[in-house]
Amino acid sequence: MSDELDRIRREMHAVLQQPGVRPDDSLQITRRTFIHRSLLFGAASVGQTFAWWPLLNTIDVAHAAEAPFKFAWISDTHLYEKSLNTRFVDKVVRAVQEVQAMDPPADFLIFGGDLAQLGKIEELELGVDLLKDLTIKKYYIPGEHDWYLDMGKKWGELFGQPNWTFDHKGVRFIGLDTVSRGPDYWTVKKMTPEERMGHMATLDGTVAGAWAGVGRDQLDWMQKILADWDKSKPIVIFSHNPLYEYYPPWNFWVRDWREVNEVLKPYTKVTNIHGHVHQVLYNEIGSMRSIGMLATSWPWPYAPEGVPKLTKPMIRADPGDHFDGVGWETVNVNAEDKVDVEYIMWGRKEVFVQSDPDSSLSQPEKLRPRMADNMWPY
Amino acid sequence: MTIRATFLGTLCRPSFVVAIAAVAIFVGPTSAHKAPHTPEQLKQYEDVLMEEVRKGDLLFHGDAATAKQMGVVLSTTGMACAMCHPMASDTHPQSYPKFQVETSKFATLRDMINWCIEKPNQGEKIEIDSEAMKALEAYIAWSNSGSVLVPGKH
Ligand SMILES: [Fe+2]
Ligand SMILES: [Fe+2]
Repeated sequence: MSDELDRIRREMHAVLQQPGVRPDDSLQITRRTFIHRSLLFGAASVGQTFAWWPLLNTIDVAHAAEAPFKFAWISDTHLYEKSLNTRFVDKVVRAVQEVQAMDPPADFLIFGGDLAQLGKIEELELGVDLLKDLTIKKYYIPGEHDWYLDMGKKWGELFGQPNWTFDHKGVRFIGLDTVSRGPDYWTVKKMTPEERMGHMATLDGTVAGAWAGVGRDQLDWMQKILADWDKSKPIVIFSHNPLYEYYPPWNFWVRDWREVNEVLKPYTKVTNIHGHVHQVLYNEIGSMRSIGMLATSWPWPYAPEGVPKLTKPMIRADPGDHFDGVGWETVNVNAEDKVDVEYIMWGRKEVFVQSDPDSSLSQPEKLRPRMADNMWPY
Repeated sequence: MTIRATFLGTLCRPSFVVAIAAVAIFVGPTSAHKAPHTPEQLKQYEDVLMEEVRKGDLLFHGDAATAKQMGVVLSTTGMACAMCHPMASDTHPQSYPKFQVETSKFATLRDMINWCIEKPNQGEKIEIDSEAMKALEAYIAWSNSGSVLVPGKH
């Protein structure tokens, strides 16, 4: 696995990291920390978590917008039915309250997928119910956990077309569906919908394979909707999976990242914001920058290899505090031509590691893929 | 996380039972070290390990049938070990024994497994030398094969 990853990574660098190619020459990353006013709101509504100071860490990314605005991102809520688990419900409630309390308000919310844990109607409807308290405009893209019980039927009824585009104050926004084009592993094995979903819902499973992809049809669609867009004007693309190759065994990638890059190459100000990884991530490939977002549910550890060099890792979470290592984000597009992503991590003074012992990456590990899910009685 | 009721059939598959019984006969203490190892013996040792790894993998991934068969309740929240530790990542078996921050005690991997079962998973902690504990340990260690021993590393 490791050799194969090495090979692909070398190829990715050779193809994409042409000398001088950067997302934006005015790019800068800074970290600003300040106490968010939503704290006061959160402190009043959620009783017991131990630390109340989620300082906001900001990534400043330069580009040109017509007018300043901000929007919010929530993803990876992984809701179970309330009877099984209220922990994840509490965290959605908190995120929703904090986004609702933003002042000035966010222009809109992006929900980045994995609303449900096992794709059940009750889970998806619970999500809709919890997000109802948020009165700003909401846009949804699907995650794999939302999709593979009924192949997106309920999700489609609730949220409509999984890919979409709109323009807002000089920025073209695109939502992609990177989950629905997985290879069919279920028909031959005559799996029930629940079994199919079970494999898909196991991040380190080996049965569902390389399910994350954009697909030729959607790439063509993206090319078409970008045809009239000025090459130097900003584009923000939302996807559940990162649009590059980080760690394929966990689908921390899209398998057709090369083709994605082909479509986006002419555009100089592309920002990809993605979920699925449940962790702080930053990368640049070709002319695109890519930013990974926190889950509200639980943090995934960094993969044993492939963490982008440009990523400043987040702290390793305290497993005894389920408000740690998770949260939501605001994205500001401001008058000084910046896009700022603020990680709002509950229960933390510092989102980013300050020294080696704070980082799970300081403990090198070699891992083997699991095998029990391939010893299936089919 | 995944409910695999159908797996019970495999657990009881006669071939596994026979394989383990056979090992018990061929690999008894009286025959140990008195003759060179045969490839068959080595295969049997490996099979014993891999059966533990397989059971541990299923427990670790929240397989309800395996947990039921082994009489353990590792979680009541819908969370499984693998949801925070895909491929047993971030378990760092190579760093034990060590001072465990969560419990403020010098701990073994088995102590930490029980802490995770009790606290984040809100399950019922298991006997330190139980079959389920050995299987979980086998899976975690096997998944991290190749990592270098660094006892005490935080
Ligand atoms: Fe997720
Ligand atoms: Fe996901």
